Amino acid sequence: MSKSNKSQKKIVIPCSGIGKAFGSVSREATYLLTEELNPREYRTMCLPLLVVDDEEAIKMMHSSEIFTIDGCPKQCATVSVRKSGGAIKKAILVAKVLAANKDHKPGTVLDIGEGGRLLAQDIVNKITAEEGD
Amino acid sequence: MSFKPKVGIISCSGEDCTGGNISREATLKALHELRPNETVTICLPLFLAGDEGERSFAKTFPTITVDGCNKLCAAISTARFSSDPSVKINVEDYAECISLNPKEKWRIGESATVVEHIAEEIARQVDRLREEWE
Repeated sequence: MSKSNKSQKKIVIPCSGIGKAFGSVSREATYLLTEELNPREYRTMCLPLLVVDDEEAIKMMHSSEIFTIDGCPKQCATVSVRKSGGAIKKAILVAKVLAANKDHKPGTVLDIGEGGRLLAQDIVNKITAEEGD
Repeated sequence: MSFKPKVGIISCSGEDCTGGNISREATLKALHELRPNETVTICLPLFLAGDEGERSFAKTFPTITVDGCNKLCAAISTARFSSDPSVKINVEDYAECISLNPKEKWRIGESATVVEHIAEEIARQVDRLREEWE
């Protein structure tokens, strides 16, 4: 697999699903990476901007490497990016990451708990390990 | 006894601004604490992903959109993919986004009072919409 183009910004877009704990985990993982662990290389973008065809957001998406994190198999973040013409570097499904780390089960949408925070870290590891960051 | 519908609440949950997190937290508070039996939530991205269940609910029943900024993504998307929301709430009517601490897009701190105000407004509007439903 080729390494990233270091000059390109990396954008992480979670689904932020509001009905399930996995949606909150997708959000937690995004902020863990973009706010705490590596804000210099990674940032996030409002997913709803793609839903309303915001020109600035779409332009930024086209000039960046995109990582999506989806809470459920409907994969709204991934579908939205694709419908807006974005190329996804990696699409992560929270349930699949949990399957490989079964002890890291999240709590609720309101409080993902320690398990949810560990799961968020697993997701971040999955992104950064493959990127070599 | 007359039928009183549940009200759909659609939050923008915008990831890149504190207003988005305020919209999400206020929506969750209304859904889980203030009016748990009178409301349902609808995932905004599901509108674009094409989920017919989400679209048809919002065509039939009253909805409240809660947006974090003046771009009004939740209100616009709901109107585009389903029908006009019954009520449109904009966080910027309660707090200037530029004055909000950007760190709070992850975890709410000093904006907790804004979250409270908006959650209470959502609850008030839920009661009104259910009362006026025919």
